Amino acid sequence: MTASLRAQGLNKSFGGVRAVQNVSIAVPDNSIFALIGPNGAGKSTLLNLLSGIYQPDSGSLEFAGRDLIGLPAHQRVRLGIARTFQKIRLFKQLTLLENVRAGFHIHQDAPFWEYLFRGSAGRFHDEAHELLEFVGLGARAAERAGALPYGRQRMLEIARALATRPRLFMLDEPAAGLNAAEVDFLLKRLEQIWQRGVTVVVVEHNMDLVMNVAQRVFVMDHGEPLFEGTPREVQANAGVVEAYLGGEFAA
Amino acid sequence: MTSRRVAIGVAILAIAAAPWLLGTPYWRGILVLGAMNVLLALSLNLVIGYTGQLNLGQSAFFGIGAYVSTILIKTYGWNFWLAGLAAVLAAGLLGLALAAFAVRLRGHYLAIASLGFAVITYQVLLNWEDVTEGVRGIYGILPPVPSTAGLFYVVAGIALAVYLLLDNLIRSPIGDTLRAIREDEVSAASLGINRAVWKAFAFGLGAAIAGLAGVFYPGFVGTLVPDAFGIIESFTMMAMVIVGGMGTMIGPVIGAIVLTFLPELLRGFGELRLMIYGLALMLVVLFMPGGMVQAWNALRRRMS
Repeated sequence: MTASLRAQGLNKSFGGVRAVQNVSIAVPDNSIFALIGPNGAGKSTLLNLLSGIYQPDSGSLEFAGRDLIGLPAHQRVRLGIARTFQKIRLFKQLTLLENVRAGFHIHQDAPFWEYLFRGSAGRFHDEAHELLEFVGLGARAAERAGALPYGRQRMLEIARALATRPRLFMLDEPAAGLNAAEVDFLLKRLEQIWQRGVTVVVVEHNMDLVMNVAQRVFVMDHGEPLFEGTPREVQANAGVVEAYLGGEFAA
Repeated sequence: MTSRRVAIGVAILAIAAAPWLLGTPYWRGILVLGAMNVLLALSLNLVIGYTGQLNLGQSAFFGIGAYVSTILIKTYGWNFWLAGLAAVLAAGLLGLALAAFAVRLRGHYLAIASLGFAVITYQVLLNWEDVTEGVRGIYGILPPVPSTAGLFYVVAGIALAVYLLLDNLIRSPIGDTLRAIREDEVSAASLGINRAVWKAFAFGLGAAIAGLAGVFYPGFVGTLVPDAFGIIESFTMMAMVIVGGMGTMIGPVIGAIVLTFLPELLRGFGELRLMIYGLALMLVVLFMPGGMVQAWNALRRRMS
């Protein structure tokens, strides 16, 4: 099985705190890959390293044969890497439609004068509506994003990221704050995204979600890799259970 | 689309009628100032209102437009329109140069950096006497068209054209991109938006439009001194944008018109004039934080 996303020996420290230590990872193409671990395990930092929000202190990182080290986040999007955020980062004052339309940025190809003299709204209006339908927000396209309930905001962020047409889609705790019905809906959508040929990386606390959709699970603790395997193997591993339950009881 | 055409028609009629409704030379002069202020408010709104860059240095680009065009005309004998074009380019390029540094900065830091640029520009205009004549000023500058009403038509026509082009731009995907940066830069980057490039684009375009307003100022006043481009002008422009409604297209236009005419209408109050003006500004910011456009929208919602 080929893995387009490969990292070797990634390290990242913040003023003495070693958030990610010597992490090597290979995400199999067209899989659903879960990153789990207790709070502070370094999952989000790892995701930020993969998406280019942070640059690693050392280590190598490549996607589809391209070296990602030094490549800023906005250029990684052009290679097909998209993400959502743990702490939702929508364009709150803009409408749902405007949020998703902004996601088509790298695919807008009309010449500048066409925008300046004709006020063309770009060619992704219909596709933006389709993405809103896909996440169940089609009827609310004209509402302000900031006015949406929390769970819907997470779905809007997914639609916005999908507008970049990713090959690799990374989600940072997409189920956080969702009710059971919303988690169900999210699960279905993640599977549909995967079925369209997208590699999905999901950082998640929700074990139901991880065990149901992930094909491979990567466990981190204290910034270090702890275990990697299928969901079944992870559940059977004593070290993982201890780290996880220990972490949850402590929190 | 049709409502847009109606609005354009109304704007053209209002521009055509204004010099006849306000027929004295004095009021026609105020009209010219108003049209310039509309251009300035539009330019600053692009940078602050749509891209979220706190720029306090817009007066510098206004001054650069005025001085570059005037010097090219007076010292080098250039044609007015050619000199104007060169001045707009100069202001735009200087804006881009400043933006190359400024886009790394955010919020208060950008405010201080742009303010510093305005102070430096003012000092250069004041002290580079071989070129700018410094505090002595440049005299006998002729407007591009002889009559005040004619000058108003030229400046207001240009302001209308700039408004319509900016409106197109804001409706286009470029508008989505700029507003995305304003709302959340990290999110914007996660969608493939190169923040530095687009912030510099807005900053440079805003500088060029402010320079364009500056091109018409010297001919209107007849003389050119650095004091016309002190940092207080930056704050006046900011007040126009905020009073009208930041981040809307029509807001800054209304703000510019109101804040051009309000001080004139208050002349009857003598020495109290500027105090009342200041008080009015404070009241607007306190009770209409979204500016007049938002207050109007709220009123309409309550009525319906």
